[in-house]
Amino acid sequence: MRRALSVILGSQQFGLVAVILLLGTILTLFGGSHEDRATGQMVNNFLNPQTLMQVATFASFFAIMAVGMTMVIITTGIDLSVGSTYALSGVLTAMALSKMYPIVTQPAPGAVWVAMGLCLGIGLAAGLLNGFLITALGVHPFIITLGTMWIFRGVAFVLSNALSILVPTSLTQFAKAPLGFAQGVTPVPVIAMLIVAVAGWLFLTRSVTGRRIFAVGGNLTASQYSGVPIKRILVIVYAVSGLTAGIAAFLAMSYFGSAQSADAQGYELYVIASAVVGGASLAGGKGSAISAMLGALLISLIQQAIRTLKINQEYEWIIIGCAIIIAVVLDRVSARVGSARLTQGRI
Amino acid sequence: METWAVEAREICKRFPGVQALDHASVAVAPGSCHALMGENGAGKSTLGKILSGIYEPDSGTIQLEGRPVRFSNPMQATQAGISIVHQELLFCENMTVGENLCLEDMPNRRGWVDWGEMRRRAKAWLDAIGADVDPEATVGALPISLQQMVQIAGAIGRGAKVLIFDEPTSSLTQRETETLFDQIRRLTAQGVACIYVSHRMDEIFEICDSVTVLRDGKTVGTRPTQGLTRDELVRMMIGRNIDTASVRAIGTHPDGVLLRVQGLSSPPRFADVSFEVRAGEVVGFAGLVGAGRSEVAQAIFGLDPKATGRVWVGDAEATRRTPASMMRLGVGLVPEDRKRQGLVLGMTARENISLPSLPRLSKAGFIDREREYELARRFFDAMAVKAPHVDAPSAGLSGGNQQKLVMAKWLAADCRVLILDEPTRGVDVGTKSEIHHMIRRLAAEGRAVVVISSELPELLTVSDRILAMRNGRIAGELPADTATEEALLRLMTGVETAVSA
Repeated sequence: MRRALSVILGSQQFGLVAVILLLGTILTLFGGSHEDRATGQMVNNFLNPQTLMQVATFASFFAIMAVGMTMVIITTGIDLSVGSTYALSGVLTAMALSKMYPIVTQPAPGAVWVAMGLCLGIGLAAGLLNGFLITALGVHPFIITLGTMWIFRGVAFVLSNALSILVPTSLTQFAKAPLGFAQGVTPVPVIAMLIVAVAGWLFLTRSVTGRRIFAVGGNLTASQYSGVPIKRILVIVYAVSGLTAGIAAFLAMSYFGSAQSADAQGYELYVIASAVVGGASLAGGKGSAISAMLGALLISLIQQAIRTLKINQEYEWIIIGCAIIIAVVLDRVSARVGSARLTQGRI
Repeated sequence: METWAVEAREICKRFPGVQALDHASVAVAPGSCHALMGENGAGKSTLGKILSGIYEPDSGTIQLEGRPVRFSNPMQATQAGISIVHQELLFCENMTVGENLCLEDMPNRRGWVDWGEMRRRAKAWLDAIGADVDPEATVGALPISLQQMVQIAGAIGRGAKVLIFDEPTSSLTQRETETLFDQIRRLTAQGVACIYVSHRMDEIFEICDSVTVLRDGKTVGTRPTQGLTRDELVRMMIGRNIDTASVRAIGTHPDGVLLRVQGLSSPPRFADVSFEVRAGEVVGFAGLVGAGRSEVAQAIFGLDPKATGRVWVGDAEATRRTPASMMRLGVGLVPEDRKRQGLVLGMTARENISLPSLPRLSKAGFIDREREYELARRFFDAMAVKAPHVDAPSAGLSGGNQQKLVMAKWLAADCRVLILDEPTRGVDVGTKSEIHHMIRRLAAEGRAVVVISSELPELLTVSDRILAMRNGRIAGELPADTATEEALLRLMTGVETAVSA
């Protein structure tokens, strides 16, 4: 029992989960309640299936990308182009679909799979392009992805004439399938988020490539001396980052029923913030897929808190900015305490 | 009795988990050069850092010219007259010599920098120690030896009466070392007391008047260097004799050629290097810093894409050489800089040991954790790494144990050919002897081992044959049994008369 407790308390995710639960408790206690029109019962403004699912759904779109971003950040890199990759995958896929299925309300068998394949494929291709440019040109990833951030969005803008493109309703039916949950609860994006986070966690902690990602970020030279294929590892992390942008784009496009070139503008900052709040270190060698998802949930929860507690919406950016800085500083402090413990075991 | 320039009495200092200094004492006379010696971890650097105010002692007293002093930061020590010349020089490398020298007290007129006055002051300080350095030069562009001179000029200019040198020659060439020694002699002649922290024995005997030896944080004794022998000094440091005989007693039985290098070139670093290493043989590489030994090792291991020439491992020729392809042929390189090239310090001992072997330990791209643990434990134990367990973070290990970890990593990768570049640099005497035994045993088990070392006694102890490199070429070969340091030095330097080490 004691041992189990110390494992939980010592785990990387404990602090984040604690903060999320604390904030959730505060919202439940101080959020007030309203009368449900259908049943006439009083319902808590925060603690109800619809609101909770809404928080998780909004988080899922950037949480999925935060898993890819975490891998990039572990290698000391950065991917500023994820928001634009998202927009590009969505727009190109929506355009292809509108050619294939001109009337959106008609039954479109197979449209879901076509859309999924296209979105993921385009995201992956955009990520591969980033990876090849970074390794071939030897230019800092900040610069390359800053460039492709504009290029990808620009391509989407030009091709779509900045118009919003509707997608077949069968996609929306897929993304909003209730799957037998409570009234008004649509869990598909959240389930996708959980799958991506767990897959990312397994990949990072158990696979050869995952271990090598940590090695490259921890010490590039020593990795090279150990026969780690550095360039291949770097291409892989940017490809995965692009792929996660494609997954997010597919889900969001299906969920909202349309795509346009202005989608996910500025999302890269939410994604980076989620990864960093989740403990990924820009200095490299450190990060977790599960924590990145929790980081995204925390940010989404803060946005919800502003609505539930009826705080003036204008304060949202200030509050999120403070939260990011506080989270990272707390993480540093706990790391220092941890390393002091390590040095005591020094031989 | 005369007053000491500086005297530290009964100094204690504890770091988490280790008593770095345990009632250590040292006293230095004005105008003398006094050595602080000891193995790694003996506390010599810690004592130097306490005297210069970088650390505060837990207990004990420091007297400067008979007056008790107490420093809580290096600034106070500098103002009182004690300065340190660091092993890692602390400068703003992007700024000029003048700016660095005046950093804490910028000459100014109402907040605007007075460049003329700054130049004048920097020039005066540099001239005072006879250093030929342009105050306008950017510090980062100067060689380490001149950066050191700038540091000394700054210390003397600020009125230092005691100057502490912490491993000052670790990145200097022979000639630069001599210039530094001339400088130290000039300073002592002017009455400055110098404290020389080092574990290089030759230098202690050349430059120091007296030596205080520390072991496990305690003072073992203070002796004048005159009349002291190396053996006595080593005994003081480690408390026993090192035995090289038992290392040589591990017999090797050279067999077929395992590593063959022909016409390996990478101008301007080295050219036309050819040699063979047989299974069960240790071949040493001697040479001065910059002779191209490490570069040859890196080229063999596929880290130099510009290198030309042919390499065979066993019967197979290594055509397109990359670290991964050389590893597949069974070649491992234990690099000279273990922190930069050898280990991922953020990872555990296990993760470091398994890093090159991951493909072998995986199924469908996923690591078989049981096999990984088994492999890591086996070589962790084989190398006798002193750490609580295989999941200990490698950053917390001592230098010697980190070195063992790098060797464990390459043994785990199942190498037939092992190239060791400076395998005992910065390793304490006890661990060093362990590593020497290990090297002989690795060869006795049938591996081909190449050892690059700047310490000739080490090469003479572990090798079967020694190749000497000079200016990027192999200058000659000697069998270790009959070779002498003098003969090797002649090959390394290319002069007929022996040069003293």
